[in-house]
Amino acid sequence: MKFLKKWHFYTKVFFYILLLSSCEAFVEIDAPNDQLTGDEIYQEAGTVTAALTNIYAHLRDDGITNGRLNGMNNLLGLYADELDLHSTSLPQIQSFYLSSLEASNTNVSNLWKNSYNLIYAANAIIEGLEKTSELKAQEKKQFLGEAYFVRGFLHFYLVNLFGDIPYIDTTDYKTNSKVSRMPFEEVYTNIIADLVQSKSLLTEKYTSSEKVRPNKWAASALLARVYLYHKDWQKALEESTAIINSGSYQLEPNINKVFLKTSPETLWQFSTAANGYNTYEGFTFIFNSGPPRTVALSNRLIQSFNFTDGRLANWTKAISKGSNSWYHPYKYKEQKPTSTSKEYSIMFRLAEQFLIRAEARVKLGDVSGAVQDLNTIRIRAGLIATTATDQEAVFNAILQERRHELFTELGHRWFDLKRTGKASSYLPLIKSNWKSTAILLPIPTSELILNPNLNPQNNGY
Amino acid sequence: MCTGKNLLCCIFYGFLSLFFTNTFANTANLHHTTDTLFKIQQTEIKGVITDTHGVPIVGASIQIKNTHKGSISDFEGRYSILAKSTDILVFSALGYATQTIPVHQRTTIHMQLQENVTLLDEVILNAGYYKVTEKERTGSIAKVTQAVMEQQPLSNPLGALQGRVAGVEITQTSGIPGAGFDIKIRGQNSIRSTGNDPLYVVDGVPFSSTTLGNVQVSGTIIPGLGVSPLNNIHPSDIRSIEILKDADATAIYGSRGANGVVLITTKKGKAGDTTFRLNVSSGFGKVTHTIPLLSTSEHIALRKEAYANDGITTIPSNAYDINGTWDTSKETDWQKELIGNVALFTNIQGALSGGNDQTTFLVSGNYQKQTTVFPGDFHNNTASFLTNFNHRSKNEKLQVQLSLNYAVGNNNLVSSDFIREVYKLTPNAPELYTDDGTLNWENGTWNNPLRQREGKYLSHTKNLIGNLLVGYNLTENLKFSTSLGYTQTYQNEKKTTPSTIFNPAYGRGSEFSSIRHNDTHRTSWIAEPQLQWNLKLKDTELKALVGITFREDQSNQLVQYARGFTSNSLIENIAAANTVTILNNSLSDYKYHALFARVHINHKRKYLVNLTGRRDGSSRFGPHKRFANFGAIGAAWIFSKEKYIKDHFPILSFGKLRGSYGTTGNDQIGDYGYLNTYTINPSTYQNTNGLEPSRLFNPDFSWEVNKKFEIALELGLFNDRIFITSSYYSNRSSNQLVGIPLPGTTGFSSLNANLKATVENKGWEIVLSTVNFDTNALKWTSSVNLSIPKNTLLAFPDLEGSTYANRLVIGEPLNIQKLYQLEGVDSQTGLYTFKDVNGDGIISSPNDNHVVRNLNPAFFGGLQNTISYKGFDVNFLFQFKKQLGKSYVVTGLPGSLTSLPTSYLNRWQKPGDATQIQRLTTGGNSAALNAYVNYLSSTASISDASFIRLKTMALSYQLDKRWLKGLNCKIYLQGQNLFTITGYDGLDPETQSSRTIPPLKIFTLGTTLTF
Repeated sequence: MKFLKKWHFYTKVFFYILLLSSCEAFVEIDAPNDQLTGDEIYQEAGTVTAALTNIYAHLRDDGITNGRLNGMNNLLGLYADELDLHSTSLPQIQSFYLSSLEASNTNVSNLWKNSYNLIYAANAIIEGLEKTSELKAQEKKQFLGEAYFVRGFLHFYLVNLFGDIPYIDTTDYKTNSKVSRMPFEEVYTNIIADLVQSKSLLTEKYTSSEKVRPNKWAASALLARVYLYHKDWQKALEESTAIINSGSYQLEPNINKVFLKTSPETLWQFSTAANGYNTYEGFTFIFNSGPPRTVALSNRLIQSFNFTDGRLANWTKAISKGSNSWYHPYKYKEQKPTSTSKEYSIMFRLAEQFLIRAEARVKLGDVSGAVQDLNTIRIRAGLIATTATDQEAVFNAILQERRHELFTELGHRWFDLKRTGKASSYLPLIKSNWKSTAILLPIPTSELILNPNLNPQNNGY
Repeated sequence: MCTGKNLLCCIFYGFLSLFFTNTFANTANLHHTTDTLFKIQQTEIKGVITDTHGVPIVGASIQIKNTHKGSISDFEGRYSILAKSTDILVFSALGYATQTIPVHQRTTIHMQLQENVTLLDEVILNAGYYKVTEKERTGSIAKVTQAVMEQQPLSNPLGALQGRVAGVEITQTSGIPGAGFDIKIRGQNSIRSTGNDPLYVVDGVPFSSTTLGNVQVSGTIIPGLGVSPLNNIHPSDIRSIEILKDADATAIYGSRGANGVVLITTKKGKAGDTTFRLNVSSGFGKVTHTIPLLSTSEHIALRKEAYANDGITTIPSNAYDINGTWDTSKETDWQKELIGNVALFTNIQGALSGGNDQTTFLVSGNYQKQTTVFPGDFHNNTASFLTNFNHRSKNEKLQVQLSLNYAVGNNNLVSSDFIREVYKLTPNAPELYTDDGTLNWENGTWNNPLRQREGKYLSHTKNLIGNLLVGYNLTENLKFSTSLGYTQTYQNEKKTTPSTIFNPAYGRGSEFSSIRHNDTHRTSWIAEPQLQWNLKLKDTELKALVGITFREDQSNQLVQYARGFTSNSLIENIAAANTVTILNNSLSDYKYHALFARVHINHKRKYLVNLTGRRDGSSRFGPHKRFANFGAIGAAWIFSKEKYIKDHFPILSFGKLRGSYGTTGNDQIGDYGYLNTYTINPSTYQNTNGLEPSRLFNPDFSWEVNKKFEIALELGLFNDRIFITSSYYSNRSSNQLVGIPLPGTTGFSSLNANLKATVENKGWEIVLSTVNFDTNALKWTSSVNLSIPKNTLLAFPDLEGSTYANRLVIGEPLNIQKLYQLEGVDSQTGLYTFKDVNGDGIISSPNDNHVVRNLNPAFFGGLQNTISYKGFDVNFLFQFKKQLGKSYVVTGLPGSLTSLPTSYLNRWQKPGDATQIQRLTTGGNSAALNAYVNYLSSTASISDASFIRLKTMALSYQLDKRWLKGLNCKIYLQGQNLFTITGYDGLDPETQSSRTIPPLKIFTLGTTLTF
């Protein structure tokens, strides 16, 4: 009987252990040491910086603003009338050039997906920073200001490319996978709210001497662009004037130095991946022998320049073979790495602000003010003052000036044709496949399959 | 006192609640006292146990029926035991039929045991947490014994299972020493190719088969992911391998059981005289098959034709093979030169074992050396040490078992498989060496294949598996035991690329030398206390088991790439490098906790029910799904014991119908999969690496669910001389972790989550074993197994929107290829033509590659025969498989500077030729180039890869003991992959690759001495 008691005891111990097994503590593990989890990122300024600048690295390398063949710069240059495609082995790019886009186009899908991927990253930063109390107030304001800036920037391009789009302001995938498209007016309201907030959070100071992260004036410059596209002339005028009058930026008098990384007219540019690297734009567009491997400037653009225009001589370059010659953009002059980086991809520069103000002024009836801004740009390019005087002629002169000043930069030409309504009258003349529905890109097919709430597809696809 | 019904309740509630009733205690008490009732006088009984030839049987067991008392026969077959005159003695020995004899006042009982040919009753199967007999199992368990393992020269235990076990498809990935095997038990369950390994358990300790190697280090020499850790368990240390297949057998392994369980049991000591067994063997191996290639004259004619086809009249300066740079009359068989050598195999094993009734021990050491078929001194050495200690206390209450297995391996190979060079070389490529014995680079016009020898692949592994099992019989029917296990695995591997590997024409010095270095550790521990309770009533036997598991695994890996050395002699020292890049540095922790139970009811030894279940908690699962329940029911009816059957079907000696249904899970889903992690973007901004969100947080992240159903019929005819088992199974895996495709607005293309995609594996398995001859002199048994599997993807929501859109088709197997339909060679243009499905005039994916080819086998199996005549034993195993496989692919473009198989003699040459092979091109004809690229993705890229292979043949002779005093000597000759019947056009239908050495044909000669 003594033994029985003993095993009774053992058995009890055993079942106590069993009871413990319902306790979850044993299977709790610490976070992995080789990767960071979301919560850990926002405890330290260094990791927040890495999360934030990673967005800029993507915008530079593979996001919509990248300077390679699949960036807006090239795709919209072909879609409008700036570039000609010489390669026949790039079917997904060719359909931009031939205005024969389909909803399954991988480049369209990249523009969409990359943008929302970076919007997620921005939202994760906004949400992460709201929760943390570890950072200094000023650091936090700078980070938040940049995150709102990025969110506004990307939605702005999405709404202009695709029309009504979902406006994403949360990281919750359950919500985001079922979203519907928001009317573009509402999207604009949200973009403007983000940018106003961004502007109030950021300061005039850059985080470093290279202007590679946006400051308050970069937010202003984006707002000016947004207001211009949104035809809010008064606000566009105010923003551009504020920048011009800030004294922080001057037009570079030597047009060969406008695209150097030290240019005094730059408001925001992308740091390169390593010191010595230059821009993807230079790498993509420059060719040294004919015929061009991929793309070249269209003859239509070249012929539209006044032959005395310094930009024709300095921002484009002719390459000849036999009796043929082709032009490549030569704003960025470095195709290859140099001992130290010379050029960065520029997103905002002061010349655009003069042109925004000129357009706002002419729309508000201040024709002479508009002419004054327009001439500032013309004279820098070595042209004489404009001869246009009436409102309509000055407006057209401004558009023409934008075409010559901003070619192959972020698709300005396409957006100008689109927002002024000229795309539908002008492009059919030069592109046989052009249909009026091409004014918007198609929503990628896979997106409609995975989220039917995004239906209906844009017209014509 | 308790009635039978009450007792049943006792078992259930007794095990599951803390409140033990006194009733239960009283019952146990009763059993306790009955044991001590009879104490009658005992006498010593002696005798000799022999087989039917009069040869003494060593180690036979003599037990007094219904007691634990027993003895064991010695080297001369003699035994002695104390017994009462009313006792009944039970004589048993492995391989012999058990006999029982009442003592009846005798003091001398000699016993002759009949060799057992069917073995059915005797076979005890290890089901992991419990044991069952072959006859009374309710689940699907296959066993491969030591005897089988000893028939073939092996370095990886999985090799022994090839062709022998129904439902288990095993493919050797390469003939390179150290490479592993792919194993699929009843097909591929997980859509992810990385989640289909079974659970391996060595002596109760889970053993991870995931390689510690890194593909960036070993990728060019060891195919797959790297050196297989299973090589650390030496086949000759294994007593048996059991494979658990159905729900009944695997559900007790819960979330780890979905892909089946492989239980490896190492050898244990035997009571009796201390014996020493020495086994020495050596042999050689060759590549089984080479590809017939064009001769120099044929090659040159074809090359010239290729240039002519392309309209190139001036032979370019880089066409060294035909423009006179190289000798156009030279002829080298590069297959012979580079992969045609003889690999040598040496194996020495010594084992000392012995002990008495209470304590037994085994100490075994093993050394194996294997060289390669490559030119040069490359070898893989492994040494292992196994020790096992068993003890039971005199009162039989306490049992202790300790086993330790330690293995060290050194693999010293060339950095890149020479086979990757062979098929690039034209038959007139230059000499390997110059006259002064240095590597000949022929003025930089070729890449001398022996340059690869400058680089090395070195792998060093260490492995420890320790297991301590302590059991205590609390009462006669209740036993408490604890299994404690520890494993530690370490691998260090290096791949060097010295500057001398480069063509000297590049002028590269040691500043270009580099090394890749991987250091990986993995440790795990496990503790599994359990309680077993047995109860015997009049007709019903009841067994119950309950236990818990605690387990933790930790692993860390550091992979580095170092480049730039001041001298090549410093290349193995990372500290001497100019730049060191860390390719991977990971550390992971996995914790696992479970509760498991089994209740087994055996009524009249005819009706059997087995209930198993497990509750699993795992750190791999998201916070909302930390715990999971799995369970299965298995039942069997031995209908041959029914009177009606006995009376009406006398030829039926055994008949059983069994079935099982249950759920298991697959937790091979990686660690930390549910966390929203940020990873480092290698692209920098302001000289800072970016951190990017790599995953969404998913608290519902969990195991893949696998529901298994099986029904089987087992029939024994003519006293079990013919035995047939046929089973049908149907398993469905869902909750697949493939990443739920998400719309881009979420920021991600997929969520690491369980998708409601379902994969079905169903099929038939048939095993037929026969005893063809059974006389005193000649014994011949055969066994054939056949598996007919079918794998189907039943559902995959939003497949078109996912990244699998071009890889999977609903209603088809997982292992498919979508191909262009080759329509032949246009007799006018000489180009391959394909079916243009959408009629757009362009052959492109995904529009035109609509033909689906299934790469899973249609059926496979093996046929084994064992013939013994006097002292001779012959065993052979044929393995067969009906399947489609990847065709041989020419390295490079046919017509360019590369070698071609002789089939190219029948190419298209001029308009009007009707052939299967298109015109040659050097690359100058873009239409031909495009057609060839499409050809590689067409129906022609898949061809019949069925084969029948004489996998194993073993011949052994047991020398008559009378000749050798006290020495037991066996001589054997073994062969592996002796011949293959196949229509396959490539190197080997098993590996289907021309990027790695196929399995070798091996002969070994050896001897086993026991004294």
